[in-house]
Amino acid sequence: MERRLVLRLLSHWRMLCDDRAYPSFFDLDPSAIPAMWRDCFVLEIFADGSEPRFRAVGDALAAHVDFSLIDQPISKAPEKSLPGEAISFLEEVLRKGVPISRGDEFNKEHGAKVLYRSILLPMSDDGDTVTGILGAVNCREVIDG
Amino acid sequence: MKAFEIHTFRDGQWKVDSVFDDRELAIFEAKKVDQNRRYSSVKVVEENYDEASDKTTIRTVFRGRKGAARSGAPKPAVTTSSRKARRGGAEREHGGKSRARPQKKQPTSVVVPVLILLLLVMTGIAAMLGLQFVRN
Repeated sequence: MERRLVLRLLSHWRMLCDDRAYPSFFDLDPSAIPAMWRDCFVLEIFADGSEPRFRAVGDALAAHVDFSLIDQPISKAPEKSLPGEAISFLEEVLRKGVPISRGDEFNKEHGAKVLYRSILLPMSDDGDTVTGILGAVNCREVIDG
Repeated sequence: MKAFEIHTFRDGQWKVDSVFDDRELAIFEAKKVDQNRRYSSVKVVEENYDEASDKTTIRTVFRGRKGAARSGAPKPAVTTSSRKARRGGAEREHGGKSRARPQKKQPTSVVVPVLILLLLVMTGIAAMLGLQFVRN
């Protein structure tokens, strides 16, 4: 079984797609992916171009920020935090309309280095326009010295 | 900046399927996609954008089994273009139908001329021996 979160979620997304370009949020059942869901998040994308908002944040990811991101615009996610880094290439996903996975590192406020890998998967309620993003990210801290 | 794009071929069109910043992940995923009967071909294209020169280098780093078998040429192709030119190319690639590359003519084999030469030499020797035999 694949152990890398981003590939497991991508595989699940492909399964939900079936023969469509994008799956719908109606197809997404968090209880079907309990282990992955802890590291997942959902963004709502608005047709009028207003700022996307977090609609769901998994427990493991929520623990990286000391306030709730639910229903908050994405700009509320602190830049040097896992949720903030995980959505840093959102614009590229919306422009290309395909799943994108990136990994990088950042330094937390107290200085610890964090290595992470994230994936953003486009979702659609009408099968054509991207109306949301299913994302996932996991990380490990690196202690220097 | 480096990106590894998985491209899939279906209904006469190449489409970008997904994008990774990691070669190993992209190829691993492409191999999985290649097993899917939905696509007649899969490849991973490495895009290397050099900000200083505004040049993008494009190189195929993986071809699925179906694609490799069909083209008969799994060798990676390298092209370089400016970002502007690349945009046009991408549109062409995603919008247009794929065309089979004209096959290169194989260089004429050297075996045939050598055989002809050998035949001529042998004929000459046979003629000389024949003449000698007639004189005797």
